[in-house]
Amino acid sequence: MFEDIYPFSAIVGQDELKLALLLNAVNPNIGGVLIRGEKGTAKSTAVRALAALLPEIRVVAGCPYSCDPENGGWMCDWCRENASKGRTVLRRVRVVALPLNATEDRVVGGIDFTLAIKQGRRTVQPGLLAEVNRGILYIDEVNLLDDHIVDIILDSAASGENRIEREGISFRHPASFILVGTMNPEEGPLRPQLLDRFGLCVDIKAETDLGKRVELMERREAYDLDPQGFLKRFKNENARTAEGILSAMDHLNAVRLPKHMRTFISELCTENNVAGHRADLIMEQAARTYASLRHGQEVLTDDIAKVAHLVLAHRRRDAMPQPEPDQQEEKPHEGADQNGQKQPPDMEKPGKEQGDQANTGADEPSRRLEEQFRDGEESNSAEVPEKKDSVEQIFEIGATFAVKEIATPRDRIYRRGSGRRSRTRVSLKQGRYIKSIPGNRTGDIALDATLRAAAPYQTRRKRKNGLAVVLRKEDIREKVREKRIGNFLLFLVDASGSMGARGRMAASKGAIMSLLLDAYQKRDRVAMVSFRKNEAMTNLPPTASVELAGKLLAEMPVGGRTPLSAGLEATYKEAQNHLLRDPAARPIVIIITDGKTNVAMGDQNPVEEALGIAARMASDQRVMYIVVDTEEPGIVNFGLAARLAGALKARYSKIEELKAGQLVDIIKENR
Amino acid sequence: MKNNKPIYPFAAIVGQEKMKLGLILNTINPTLSGVLIRGEKGTAKSTAVRALADILPDITVFENDPFQLSPSDEFDVYRECMHTAYGKEIPARDQVKTVKRRVRVIELPVGATEDRVVGTMDMEHALKEGEKRVEPGLLAAAHRGILYVDEVNLLDDHVVDVLLDSAAMGVNTIEREGISFSHPARFTLVGTMNPEEGELRPQLLDRFGLCVTIEGIQSADERVAIMERRVAFDQDPEGFTRQWAVESQTMAERILQAKALLSRVEAEKALLYEIAQYCLDVGVDGHRGDIIMLKTAKTLAAYEGRSQVTSEDIQTAAELALPHRIRRQPMMEIADNVKAVRERCTEAGTQ
Repeated sequence: MFEDIYPFSAIVGQDELKLALLLNAVNPNIGGVLIRGEKGTAKSTAVRALAALLPEIRVVAGCPYSCDPENGGWMCDWCRENASKGRTVLRRVRVVALPLNATEDRVVGGIDFTLAIKQGRRTVQPGLLAEVNRGILYIDEVNLLDDHIVDIILDSAASGENRIEREGISFRHPASFILVGTMNPEEGPLRPQLLDRFGLCVDIKAETDLGKRVELMERREAYDLDPQGFLKRFKNENARTAEGILSAMDHLNAVRLPKHMRTFISELCTENNVAGHRADLIMEQAARTYASLRHGQEVLTDDIAKVAHLVLAHRRRDAMPQPEPDQQEEKPHEGADQNGQKQPPDMEKPGKEQGDQANTGADEPSRRLEEQFRDGEESNSAEVPEKKDSVEQIFEIGATFAVKEIATPRDRIYRRGSGRRSRTRVSLKQGRYIKSIPGNRTGDIALDATLRAAAPYQTRRKRKNGLAVVLRKEDIREKVREKRIGNFLLFLVDASGSMGARGRMAASKGAIMSLLLDAYQKRDRVAMVSFRKNEAMTNLPPTASVELAGKLLAEMPVGGRTPLSAGLEATYKEAQNHLLRDPAARPIVIIITDGKTNVAMGDQNPVEEALGIAARMASDQRVMYIVVDTEEPGIVNFGLAARLAGALKARYSKIEELKAGQLVDIIKENR
Repeated sequence: MKNNKPIYPFAAIVGQEKMKLGLILNTINPTLSGVLIRGEKGTAKSTAVRALADILPDITVFENDPFQLSPSDEFDVYRECMHTAYGKEIPARDQVKTVKRRVRVIELPVGATEDRVVGTMDMEHALKEGEKRVEPGLLAAAHRGILYVDEVNLLDDHVVDVLLDSAAMGVNTIEREGISFSHPARFTLVGTMNPEEGELRPQLLDRFGLCVTIEGIQSADERVAIMERRVAFDQDPEGFTRQWAVESQTMAERILQAKALLSRVEAEKALLYEIAQYCLDVGVDGHRGDIIMLKTAKTLAAYEGRSQVTSEDIQTAAELALPHRIRRQPMMEIADNVKAVRERCTEAGTQ
């Protein structure tokens, strides 16, 4: 590489991280490590430092895929043809970094352009997956990697080989590698399928010990001032670690795993409710490797204890969601809540049908869960004393939590924008170039693909104007780009007196805040409309500043009657305004209310009027509605919000249903 | 690039001492890894960054080297880069000409596409010669220089990802459009933003070594001075620049001296403890805060012509290095007074 690498043994603290990396260096079967942690905690430094300690492997000389000479049955097409020569060389295990800007053709490999033009031969130019065979694939900020590339990597990680079927080439070669990724959870979660691919997972934090922090500063300064001298200082220690890895590799096969230890492992996994058997297998490997590192003859309980949390960190789940202390008093209601959803009380007969509809709507999003969120932190849920409707109050923002994924369905409409919520094809020459297709409609020509397409014919085509390459119309390929764009989230908040009762506003504000936090992460535009007393008002015109929305939310007063229809109308106008400006947009309207409207705009019954407006609003397919019901579950449920959701054809959820599920449920659903 | 539009002299900027200090410290010590300037419209943010070019020191580069590599440290890299990117063989160091030139400020426009930022395949060469060749992007041009992003919070998300990637590694790796190539890309990241238009992603925020928040100047005298100087500059740019030449020269020399002194600046162990304690008190994510604070304090001492870091340096460094690193409640504003935060935190701790 270009720079002197900070020595592995000079990293202060972070023992878990170092252990996880060492285990992988000794035993590739462990299957990689995911490093999660806040910024500036030596994540990348440690991985790059590891490269200097890796052992050497024997490879077939000249093979671009680093085939293993001892494994004849598992060689690339090139080696099969040239195997007779049988020359081999030793080289260090490679760490190959996959940059975020990688395009498909470079990851998988494709036609060798220069050779094709000069000699008219179709030859494979190996991609990153070839280079990384029997090595370590390192992805910094792995949660930001393009989905399309993730799919390719998952595919070859699962099958251990890479098949190239493109540009007139058909080729396959082994591609087994250790995945090492780092991520900062603040930037969004990782796809569960990819998460499960990582054998181990380390959550790292900054040192809190003063002495260690000082030592860390000193070392970094020393390194920056004189890298060479610093490397020399740690040379011996680094060499010792490298030797340790080598001898542990030799010793690994000799380590026995007694039967009762195997039972212990499977018990441990069952106790932690991990999904599937990967955890058992990996823990076995990790424990044996740990034993091998300390030169033990067989695996002891202590070895398992040392590695267990590395294996379980990203797979563990709680069997039963543990009730938080302040939730316990709500517990009895939860049963009633579910009842209320499935069978609306008798007095709600007219709404029954809609209620059922809304119910299926509420189940739908849970099936769509795709991402893992950490469990919400229930910290405070302010107990607010009951007050009369007429009094204006300002409630604190209640506990926030991670919310389920909300995104508009992926479609083929091309649009522009920026953000991270919904994926879309983009029309401008922006966004990630992910692949190419024949044709030229957008003028966004994929030169590389076009040249590759034209290359094999060059020896036959006549050259003109001194150009080396003659392009024909049928060679032209254009780029397909994709990016995520932020949505427009419009919040309609019920700020009437009925919301003030029994701390419901605090909980609602908590829910809105959670949605806002989510919007912040995905860089949406937000707007907020509230209704109370006799009117609806736009508290916040559309803005990208989610901070401002948060501040406004904190200050929002509550009190007065409930003019739901006025609120709906104001929302509709905002959404339409937005659509006028940006016809390709797909706004998401989130309505937070208990639906107990009591002020009409005309002389109709307020409920009827609101439902009528809602039904008309639903006819615009471009807007997606979500109704968050804040009604406190009790003996008498009005279920009005559910009816509203039915009329709007909206997704309906209770506040608590907004919370994101855990990884395990997600994996189950994907199987 | 000699006959460019005249640049408003850095020394003639009125007020905004914190911002100027942040920029100067980064010029003295590029390992501070940049500064983020947050502030409302019309507070001389962009003017200051562009003016910086005026007082930047010289560096030595190979002649016509698109990667701005250092002849003293990076000759082998140069050789490799020229070979893989252009198929050029460089025989030996003394056969390549080197030149001295100013450190450059490379501007990254908000609408920049990813391929222009990281680099891509040279289309002309591919068509003419039938060979692949790398066309280096902005990251190559910014190596050993300053990468300036105006309105950094409006930058396209995937461009930010790419920036983060190479800012973290100090290397730009191109794996796209049939090209596989990497080159060093260590740059000082300078960004300006108006917080009203939305905040920055935390990960990118952390990549800026320092952060300053600036406000419009309230003093009437200074406001008048701003107007007068601006008018004078617009009427006669050359004359105005000449008028400030001495001051600019003094400033540039002071920076050079500080640069020379920097490696000899020392900090006592007790002061390191003070830094660590400070970071623990206010609650910062990770260790980058500590490291940057120490570097800032040392650079401050060098700028003042001292070879010993003092406790005051640390206080000043905290105000520059920590505001954007203090762990915030979701969506809380970035603190503009770190000392006050510390007092609040320690008070809460003792109660």
